[in-house]
Amino acid sequence: MSDTRLTGKGVTRRQFIASTAAAGGLLLTFSLPMVSRLARATAGTPATVEAAAVNAWIRIGSDESITIMVGSSEMGQGVISSLPQIVAEDLMVDWTRVKGEHAPPGAGYVNPGSGAQLTGGSMSVRGYYQALRTAGATARDMLVMAAANQWGLNFADCSASGHGTVVNSFDSRTATYGELAPAAALLTPPTNPTLVPDAQLRLIGTSVARPDLPSKVNGSAVFGIDATLPNMLYAVIRHSPSIGGTVSGTPARPQGAIAVVSLGNAVAVVASDTWQAINAAEELQVNWSVPAGTSALATDQIFAQAQQLLLSGTPAIAEQQGDVATALAGAAQRVDLIYDVPYLAHATMEPMNCTASVTPTSCEIWAPTQAAGFIPGLVVSLTGLSPEQITVHTTYLGGGLGRKFEMDYITQAIKVSMAMGQPIKLTWQREEDFGHDQYRPMAMVRVRAGLDSNGNIVAWWYRNVSASILYQRGWIGPNSVDSQATDGSTELSYAFGSRQVEYVRHPATIPVGFWRSVGHSINAFMVESAIDELALIAGVNPLAYRQRLLADDARSLAVLNAAAALAGWGTVPPAGRARGIAFHAGFGSIVAQVVELSGTTPATIKVWKVACVIDCGRAINPDTIEAQMQSAIVHGMTAALWGKITFANAKASPRNFNQYRMMRMRDMPQISVQVIQSGAAIGGVGEPGVPPVAPAIANAYAALTGTRLRTMPLTGPQASYDPIFAGNFD
Amino acid sequence: MVTLTVNGVVHQVDVASSTPLLWVLRDHLGLTGTKFGCGIEVCGACTVIIGDSAERTCEMSVGEVQGQNITTIEGLGAIMAPLQQAWIDEQVPQCGYCQSGMLMAAAALLLDHSHPTDSQIDSAMTNICVCGTYQRIRAAIHRAAAAMGSPP
Repeated sequence: MSDTRLTGKGVTRRQFIASTAAAGGLLLTFSLPMVSRLARATAGTPATVEAAAVNAWIRIGSDESITIMVGSSEMGQGVISSLPQIVAEDLMVDWTRVKGEHAPPGAGYVNPGSGAQLTGGSMSVRGYYQALRTAGATARDMLVMAAANQWGLNFADCSASGHGTVVNSFDSRTATYGELAPAAALLTPPTNPTLVPDAQLRLIGTSVARPDLPSKVNGSAVFGIDATLPNMLYAVIRHSPSIGGTVSGTPARPQGAIAVVSLGNAVAVVASDTWQAINAAEELQVNWSVPAGTSALATDQIFAQAQQLLLSGTPAIAEQQGDVATALAGAAQRVDLIYDVPYLAHATMEPMNCTASVTPTSCEIWAPTQAAGFIPGLVVSLTGLSPEQITVHTTYLGGGLGRKFEMDYITQAIKVSMAMGQPIKLTWQREEDFGHDQYRPMAMVRVRAGLDSNGNIVAWWYRNVSASILYQRGWIGPNSVDSQATDGSTELSYAFGSRQVEYVRHPATIPVGFWRSVGHSINAFMVESAIDELALIAGVNPLAYRQRLLADDARSLAVLNAAAALAGWGTVPPAGRARGIAFHAGFGSIVAQVVELSGTTPATIKVWKVACVIDCGRAINPDTIEAQMQSAIVHGMTAALWGKITFANAKASPRNFNQYRMMRMRDMPQISVQVIQSGAAIGGVGEPGVPPVAPAIANAYAALTGTRLRTMPLTGPQASYDPIFAGNFD
Repeated sequence: MVTLTVNGVVHQVDVASSTPLLWVLRDHLGLTGTKFGCGIEVCGACTVIIGDSAERTCEMSVGEVQGQNITTIEGLGAIMAPLQQAWIDEQVPQCGYCQSGMLMAAAALLLDHSHPTDSQIDSAMTNICVCGTYQRIRAAIHRAAAAMGSPP
C-alpha cells in the first residue's frame, strides 16, 4: 500500500487516517441542529431517517437526502436555495436531493463577509461563497476517502460520480453518499480540497428550481407567525401612541384577557387565542407618560429644521476631491438643486411576531429574524440563562426588508413568556407595525454643481441632511459621518473635476433603521436626478451624458449601454410616453434601468416598461437574480410613487394598507431583466435593483413633461424651498 | 359551538360566532397557511374560497360561513393542483407570505374564467405582494389556464 504517495488532492491516505484517529470523535460531538420541537410536533410521524453531519454545513441522510445549513435568513431573496446550490456544486450531488435549512446561531455560521450572523447588505452569496464551496469540496473528499477506506483503495483511485455516489477506477463497485456519510463524518477534513473548475460547473450559474417553493404553494411553509407550541398563549401589543411614551401605572386586565404585561414602552395583552387578545386590547386603558418635546416630533418641523441644517449645519466631510468651492466659483454654469425624501415604513407582509418559551432552565425562540446571531446574547441579558440553555429557530420570514434586524419584537416575546411562565406567541397588528417601525430616514439633499463650457462637471458639492441610523444606536458619535446615510453618494463612478460630499445629522428622534438598500435608496434619487438635470443644461441627451461621465469605466459603461439597448433607447416611444434612465453602483454590483412612462400630471403617471441590467460579477441562480430585480423595482416604485410616513405629535400615520398605497397587479409595468456576468468579484443582488428606479421615473417624467419632480413621493406635493437657496453658492 | 366545513372536513369549534374565520383557521384548526396581513380586508393575505368565491377572512365571522364549503390553501391541491404547479413552474414565490392568498384569489378567478384576460387578472388580483411577484403571478395564471385545458 502506497501510504505515502501524494494523492491528486495533495492528501495522503496516511494523513487522512492518522488525523482521523487524532480527531475522530470531535465531529461526532458537534452540536447539530436537531429536528425542532416544532417540526416534530407538526411532522406527524417520527423521523426514521438516520442522518450524519459530514461537516457543520452538510447532513446526509440514509435516504440520500442532502440537507445544507444556511447561515442567512430566507426572506424571499432565495438564500435557502442559492447558498445550498453553492455547496451542492462541489459536493457533486443532484439538485433534486438537496434542501436548505436555517442554521442555528453559532460561530461556525457567521457570514465571513460581515463578521456576524445577520442577513443584510446583500451579503449572503458574496460573503459565504468561498466558505461554502470549500465546505462542499471538503465533504466530497471525505466521502471519497470513506469509500476508499471501505474498499481498501487509494483516495486517488476513487472519485465522486457527480450524482451522490463514489466510484472507483478498478471495478464496478459504487457506494452512495448516504451509505458513506457515517464513516466520512469521522474523518478529518482535508485542508485544500480541489474545487470544481469553472468550465465544469453544473449548478452554479444555472436557474435551478428553488426547493422552498413547493411548501410556499401548499401552505406548509412555516413562517414565524405560524409557530405553534403545546400550552401556548397568544399575545398582541399596544405601544405608546406617541413615540417615546411609557406606561404609567399598571393597566387593568380587560375582559377576555388572561393577563396584561407592562413592557415599559408598550403593553402586551395575553389571551387564549389571537382574536381574544385583539378584542381585549381594544378595551385596554393605559395611562401613557409622554416625554416633553414630543409635540416637536412632527413632519413639518422636521423638514423645516432640515432646511435650516442644509444652510447652517456643520457638516462632516464624507468625501473630498479637489477644491470644490473654487471650482464652483470658476464654473461657466452653476446649479443649486434641492431634493427630499420622506420617512418610509418597511411594511413587510408578515407583521412583527415572535414565539418564545422561557423556563427557569431554558429558552427556545422561533423568530422571523434577519439577525439570528444576535438573539442568544439578547436572551442571556434578559433571562440570565447561559448560552447552552438557549435554542433559536429561524423561521421563514414573510419579508424582512431590513425591519427584521431589530430586536424589539423578540425582546417583547421573551419578556411576556417570562412573565407568564408559559410559551407565548406575540403578534403585532398592522397598525402597530406601521406606527412603531424603525423608519427609513427622511433626507434632504442640496446639490450644487458647476459645468465648464463643454458641459463637463467641474464641481460636485453634495450635502445630505438626515437622521442617523448609526448615531441613534450609539455606534458613532454625534458629529461623525453616518456611512449608512451617505452610501450611494460617495465613491460615485462618474468623472467629476472636483467633489465634496457632506453629511449633517438631523437630530429628530423618530427611530430610523435599515430599509432595503438603505442610503443608496435615498442618494441615488438625488444623484441620478441631478445628473439628468445637468445633462439638460449641458444640452446632451441623458444617456450620452452618462456615457461621457463613465468613459473610463468599461464595466459601468457596458451595463449602461446594455440597459439602453434593452429598452430601445433612441427609438421613438409610443405617443404620450417618454423614457428616463438611471445608473447606480452598490453592494458590489452595477445596475442601470430605463423606465418608459406616460402621464401629464404626477398623479397620472403610469409606468409601462422597466428595462433593467445588472452586472453582479458572477450569477449563482440567474432566475433568482431576475426575480430580485423585479422585486426591487416593484419595491422602489411603491416608494417612488406613493411611499410616505408622516408624524404629528410623535404619532405616525398612516397605520394600515388602506391608506398606504402599495404596488398591485394593475400597476405593474413589463419588466425585462438582463444579467451580465463580467467575471468581476461577486456582487449582491437583493438590494442594488432598488436605487435606480425612483430617479429613472423622475427623469422620464421630466423628459415627457418638462417638469422636474424633486420630492418623493413623486405623486405627492412638491416641496418649496426658501428663496435663499437660489443662486447662493457660498 | 360553531360548525365549519373546511377542505371537506367538518369541525366543531368552541369559539364565539363573531370570531373571524382567519383566526379560527389559524389558532384553532392549525391551518396556518392562511395568513394575517392587515386585519381590515385590504391586503388579501387571508383569502380563502367559500363556495366558489374568493373571500377575505380577517373580518368575516365564522357565524356567517357555517354550513358553507370553505377551501383553504391546504385544500387547494384537491381542487386545482395545476395552479400550484404553474406557480412552481414560473418560480413565483419569493418570501411566500402572500402567496396563499394570491393562489386562492387566482383559483377563484379561474373558476369564473377558464382563460382570464390580463384585464380580468388586474381586476381580480388585488392582493398585495411586497416582494413584487406580480409579473410571474400573471404568467402563472395564464400557464395554469392553458394546462387545465378547456378551450378559451
